[in-house]
Amino acid sequence: MGTLFAANCSRRPEPAALVEIRHEISPEPARVGPVSISLKLADAAGKPINGARISIEADMSHAGMSPVFAETKETDPGHYQANLELRMAGDWVIFLHVTLPGGEKLERWIDVRGVRPN
Amino acid sequence: MNPSSIPAQEIPDSLPFDLMRVPGFGRLFRWRYARPLLQAPLLVISVVMILHGLFGPTLAPKNLATTLSWLHFRGLLVLVLLCAGNFFCLACPFMLVRQFARRIFKPRFTWPRALRNKWLSVALFVFILFTYELFDLWSSPWWTAWLIVAYFLSVLVVDGFFKHASFCKFVCPIGQFNFVASTLSPFEVKVREQDVCTRCHTKDCIRGRRDPVSDLVTIHGCELALFQPSKVGNMDCTFCLDCVHACPHDNIGILSRLPASELMTDPLRSGIGYFSRRKDLAALVIVFTFGALLNAFGMVSPVYAVERWLGQMLHLSHEAPVLGLIFTCFLIVEPVLLLGLAAWLTRAWAGSERGLLPLAVRYTYGLVPLGFGMWLAHYCFHFLTGLYTLIPVTQSAIASLGRPLLGEPRWTLTGLPANVVQVVEIGFLVLGFAGSLAVTYGLAENDSPDRPVRAFLPWAVVCLILWLGSMWLLFQPMEMRVMLMSG
Repeated sequence: MGTLFAANCSRRPEPAALVEIRHEISPEPARVGPVSISLKLADAAGKPINGARISIEADMSHAGMSPVFAETKETDPGHYQANLELRMAGDWVIFLHVTLPGGEKLERWIDVRGVRPN
Repeated sequence: MNPSSIPAQEIPDSLPFDLMRVPGFGRLFRWRYARPLLQAPLLVISVVMILHGLFGPTLAPKNLATTLSWLHFRGLLVLVLLCAGNFFCLACPFMLVRQFARRIFKPRFTWPRALRNKWLSVALFVFILFTYELFDLWSSPWWTAWLIVAYFLSVLVVDGFFKHASFCKFVCPIGQFNFVASTLSPFEVKVREQDVCTRCHTKDCIRGRRDPVSDLVTIHGCELALFQPSKVGNMDCTFCLDCVHACPHDNIGILSRLPASELMTDPLRSGIGYFSRRKDLAALVIVFTFGALLNAFGMVSPVYAVERWLGQMLHLSHEAPVLGLIFTCFLIVEPVLLLGLAAWLTRAWAGSERGLLPLAVRYTYGLVPLGFGMWLAHYCFHFLTGLYTLIPVTQSAIASLGRPLLGEPRWTLTGLPANVVQVVEIGFLVLGFAGSLAVTYGLAENDSPDRPVRAFLPWAVVCLILWLGSMWLLFQPMEMRVMLMSG
């Protein structure tokens, strides 16, 4: 399970920066083919964030490959899940385009290194 | 008139096709500013690539520097070389900057005699291949932008100090790649009628033209020291067309010829000498050919297994020495073994009186088609499978300026399906294999007229081994990632 960007600013933080996103990708390590990505959104107090909309865009680290897009579904309060088809072995970057329940948007990314061939 | 009364005249079977005679093309190429006209758009694109590489998205598939450099430029380069000639050197944007700079700084030195060969450029060619793998240039817009900047600076420094086209002839790794590949191009800058050159006293094609009053050069002669009447083939020719503009007799054209034919003969070539005596050129061909396989090997899954295995066996935690070992195997050990053994067998079976090294040097040129086939297959794979990615990346770059003039990026646009492109790749490899067999047989016929088959066989086996290696690479799963030795 990885964690993305907890709030750590000295200035008054933006609300979006207070969002903690934990992710899990299976299979681990990821292989070419279908992979599942689970996300857990929580606020600064650790309270799950319900009702967010998360679009996923997965790109390879090199030019020439079409990105893979997916929309997540909220499976439990604060838990989101999506399925992706990774078409090539190598390094991938997964972008999370998050729209919070209040309409606020934030972007995060996950480095998925060394996706193995089948 | 009775036809039998016409004096016999030797008419060639077929006159070469001359690109300069094509309406529009001829007029354009004869125009003195044709080259700057072609260079200017590429200079603008280069500047855009540098800016986007330095200040744009850090992810390679979203950046113009990486997309244009590693997909479109390389793919178009090899296709133009295959279908026409060295027209990318003609439109080289680095030379446009150099020409401007030379209006201010006049070079004073001549290129050092010790460096008037290809050894430096061979080393730089290997260096570029090595840094490409080590720093994963394909995945870094920032490094790609700096590579372009470094290229511009190198041109300015080298040609700022040294006269003529020192950078092109002795330094530029891209230029050397183009020179070797263009030996397979169907067009060549060449004199139309040798008789006209024999009668010519001014030799402007090499000397250039000077203003009779000020004695300043008004039109350059060939800056790469290629004297047209004795120039053979495309080696070292940048298609700059200076000779075309300088020739007072309009006797130089861009003529069609049989691709690779220049590799089968060994005449004295202006500005080059004999191919068979140029060990540096043979080394360049070795890097070109074996480097093609090496570069492709760097993007398939087995390379990571090999790197991990070497790292564990030798207790190396950094990628550079492991990569160095792989490069040594591909570019030194493998060629020495294969070419050395083939040369030894040629001597033993065909009774060639040449020494081992001269034999190896002579036949090395036969590998150019194989190497080019692999470069074509590799670069066209990226180019064709990512053909349309330029559209969303450009849309995104323009949108990032605040005005989405071309609309929202359509990221789903990619290119041709990989299974279709694979057929094209196989075609290039087969073409390269057939070309190498034809060239090595031509060399064997010249070298051992009594026993050409015996002289040819060892080299045919070398070609077969390299071709099988290329085909194996083609069917490996592609995998491009930043290598972490610990992983």
